[in-house]
Amino acid sequence: MSFREKTAWVTLIALVLVSLMYWLHIPSLFEPHRHGWVLLVLALSLGTFVLIEVIAWLVFYVRNPKETRTPKDEREQIIALKASRISSWVFTAGTFIAIFLTLHLAGAGPVAMGMSVVIAFVLAQVVRQAAIIIYYRRGA
Amino acid sequence: MTSTVITNGIRKLRFEHAEMTQQELADRISVTRQTVNAIEAGKYSPSLEVAFRIAKVFALRVDEVFQFAEPARGSRK
Repeated sequence: MSFREKTAWVTLIALVLVSLMYWLHIPSLFEPHRHGWVLLVLALSLGTFVLIEVIAWLVFYVRNPKETRTPKDEREQIIALKASRISSWVFTAGTFIAIFLTLHLAGAGPVAMGMSVVIAFVLAQVVRQAAIIIYYRRGA
Repeated sequence: MTSTVITNGIRKLRFEHAEMTQQELADRISVTRQTVNAIEAGKYSPSLEVAFRIAKVFALRVDEVFQFAEPARGSRK
């Protein structure tokens, strides 16, 4: 398994774990005077994600420094671009759905719209990492 | 629909050149071992630049390393 594929796996798993951690706390957003607390959970989630990525990178670096330092070659760049194209569609669709819901659902305010956009962004990133892994698995 | 297929004899050439490993070839043409494997397996068609680099490693012309085959109309890769 190449370094890029391993990092894609780590990012995918970290995204899913951290997102679950964050979204489990979302109901509290609707309790009065808890907005600041949810922002703290968001910050902690982002911090955890960055920490997982850094630790994984350090482990890969210790095990194979040369592979870690090697820049992306042309095939890896193409795989990243293909995956980004797919995830951009997911993000665009998610953003339009968020706007639609905010405009048409009673009681859906800017907070709900913001959360929907965050969901779309996280989903797009999950799809991107999954697409990268699939492309590498297929040997494309 | 007409699709094109690029085949190559890199695996054979590697063995003819002191049993060069995929990693050794990858290092010489500045790509990853996985990319060399994908090229050999015909799953990835390299850029012209990488094709020239591969040919240079084996001291051959590009068309001696890579062959272009146009499959029959209607078939898809």
